[in-house]
Amino acid sequence: MISALLYLQYHSIKNRTLMRIKRLKQPKYLVGGIVGGLYFYWCFFRAIFVTPRGGRSITLLASPSNAALYESIGALVLLTILLVAWIIPNSRAALTFTEAEVTFLFPAPISRRVLIHFKLVRSQTAILMTALLLTLVTGGLRSNAWIHAAGWWLFFSTLNLHLLGSSFARTKLMDRGITNWQRRLAILALVFLTAGVVIIWTRQSMPPFEPSQMQDFAAVRNYAQQVLTAGPVPYLLYPLRLVVRPYLASNAMAFLYALGPALLLLLLHYWWVVRSNVAFEEASVEASRKRAEKVAAVRAGNWRAAQKPPRRKRSPFKLRPVGPPAFALLWKNLISAGQAYSLRVWVSLIVFAVCISLGVGQAAGGSSAREVLGSIAAMLMAWSLLVGTQFLRQDFRQDLPLADILKTYPLRSWQLALGELLAPAAALAAIQWFLLVFVVGLFWQAASARLGWQSWLGMGFGAALIIPVLDLITLQIPNAAALLFPAWFQEAKSGGAGIEATGQRLIFMLGQMVVFVVALTPAAALFAGVFFLVKMLLGMATAIPLASIAAAIVLAVEAALGVMLLGWLFERYDVSAGTSG
Amino acid sequence: MIQVEALTKLYGEFVAVNELGFEVKSGEVMALVGPNGAGKTTTLRCLSGIIPPTRGSIRICGHDLGQDPIAAKRELAFLSDEPRLFDYLTVEQHLAFVARIYQVKDYELVADQLLGELELAGKRNALPGELSRGMKQKLAIACGLLHAPRVIYFDEPLTGLDPMGIRRMKDSILKRARDGAAIIISSHLLHLVEEICSHILILKDGRKVAHGTLAEITQQFATQAGEMNLEEVFFRATSEAREGQQ
Repeated sequence: MISALLYLQYHSIKNRTLMRIKRLKQPKYLVGGIVGGLYFYWCFFRAIFVTPRGGRSITLLASPSNAALYESIGALVLLTILLVAWIIPNSRAALTFTEAEVTFLFPAPISRRVLIHFKLVRSQTAILMTALLLTLVTGGLRSNAWIHAAGWWLFFSTLNLHLLGSSFARTKLMDRGITNWQRRLAILALVFLTAGVVIIWTRQSMPPFEPSQMQDFAAVRNYAQQVLTAGPVPYLLYPLRLVVRPYLASNAMAFLYALGPALLLLLLHYWWVVRSNVAFEEASVEASRKRAEKVAAVRAGNWRAAQKPPRRKRSPFKLRPVGPPAFALLWKNLISAGQAYSLRVWVSLIVFAVCISLGVGQAAGGSSAREVLGSIAAMLMAWSLLVGTQFLRQDFRQDLPLADILKTYPLRSWQLALGELLAPAAALAAIQWFLLVFVVGLFWQAASARLGWQSWLGMGFGAALIIPVLDLITLQIPNAAALLFPAWFQEAKSGGAGIEATGQRLIFMLGQMVVFVVALTPAAALFAGVFFLVKMLLGMATAIPLASIAAAIVLAVEAALGVMLLGWLFERYDVSAGTSG
Repeated sequence: MIQVEALTKLYGEFVAVNELGFEVKSGEVMALVGPNGAGKTTTLRCLSGIIPPTRGSIRICGHDLGQDPIAAKRELAFLSDEPRLFDYLTVEQHLAFVARIYQVKDYELVADQLLGELELAGKRNALPGELSRGMKQKLAIACGLLHAPRVIYFDEPLTGLDPMGIRRMKDSILKRARDGAAIIISSHLLHLVEEICSHILILKDGRKVAHGTLAEITQQFATQAGEMNLEEVFFRATSEAREGQQ
């Protein structure tokens, strides 16, 4: 029977790989594949062919002096993962199968044990890929690569078996009438008891750790080393250290010594999982249904539905039935974005920002706290300008799956485009104005002393003027990309796997940066021209706001043209192309 | 109300709809039937302005859909087989949104009436995710009918409805037709077509193979064997088209 399941697994992988190779005939995958391949070569494989010049590998290779420390840290990380797996989950054991697998395998004359074996074999594909990737990331290709790869494989295989076994054990406890909270309390009691023993031993056997020592990294490290490598901790972590040890082996002989106990532990886990006779079918059917719904939602472009069910949200304002229709889209998308963007919330936040800025200004006196906070706010503002559009997606990117419905609306295409952009633009501008109030307030004294308060206020005014128009432009770039390359957009959005998908995402990011710079250039040139001219004639305080107004006008014209272009693109958008591969 | 002339839609070199022409007058209910891939959905999408035709003209209540799409779209509603709703808007918010898009001044009265008629009155604050498939379909219908369209397209209107819902839907379609709307229904359910449609257009490979009242097309495909029902007409029409092509 297992041979049929192996046949299924083998051909699934083979066909998926062939499909990926075949689709490289399409330019979008070929270009994505080339760019992704170059990226991976540059990041991971280049080190094999090029001799590093003074660069340091990030390999976590342990030297004999700190091997025990690293081993204990690794064991602690593993312990944390295992504790989470024992404490947090509250449902019965469910093996994830696809809906097709449920349909074909569950009614078939296949024993539960064979299904578990199938699941274990299938999970090996992901484990092997993860082990390979982590070996590359941790720079292990140049030295002892095979040790690292095998170490990662042992680690993840044991972890996978333990998670499966713990879910079976949890189900058995539930069947015996032990509730989730009883189980959690028992585990937590055990954790606290063990931690208590360690703390008592530490207090009795080691000198106290002074808070002032926290600034000395070497002191912290030495103290941690003593706690983790002496007393009860090494014994308590012993089984977990066995799992981590092969990865940290410094040479082949050390690896072979570590391999035996680790393999024995792996086999014990395997025996535990296979011997567990737990009914997982019902929960698995439900889990596979949810998984299928998510996959279907992503394939249909409804990424939101795949994430989590939306909650009911209050309208940001009352939408009257008569008025500019584009505002209906703003209203709709603000509801989608959530209550965080209601006018009341933003007014409150700006008042709060003003108070905090002034308060910090008074309290900080001569210290640099104001400048540090102001710099953080300024950096956040710049960051939100560049990448804010990736977080606020209540526009065409959200509504593309419903493009056919939007196209039936009696609206001009530019009205649709404007309406779609308004909500994220308003939300982004509100966030940036909020940060701007902070920046202006926190740098008030320093900047006023250097530039004069009129000039500083003028700069704030200029930035406030330019920000919303700039947001409108930056939002047009990913929206235009989604309309121009819908299949690419779906691929990037759904987190498509493979080198070519990574390449596509990189191309998107690069394209966005280039277009952003091109859009900014005319406005920046005009700003500079007006600024220097007016500064010579009327002074700095007048020059900044006037130059900002000129730049804002250029950006507004660009934004208007962009909205028209976006509308035109939407008009030409083929609704059948949205989900096509 | 609906005038279609030489409608052609190409996808690359593939002809999805080929030189299609017909007219649907006020009060008429026309069925658009044909085998899978005949071009029914493409035709409906062209007629509702979702996709532009490659050639030909479409007039909705006298407005050319290509030249004056806004005026034409104000008069029509397209109700797809799969209810297409915004996940994050409640039933009430959907209606408020559609009212603003179509500028329906006193929409609350119409909305109340529609929600009552479609048994959605108790679900005003529900999100689509909290509604059954049939309820979602009803909400999509309420949104489509809110602006009192004079031209309505239904794509498989009975999908997902329970027996009571099916009866109400049929009654609703006939009522809209009696009130003067021009209606096109795309469906594979030939008994539905026989029951409520005054006219039938049979498509095959994007081409019109039969068009007229049920009596007219039955007569067109009648044999000496005696009376024929729509199912027999359908099979004869589509198989003759296939033979003709061969």
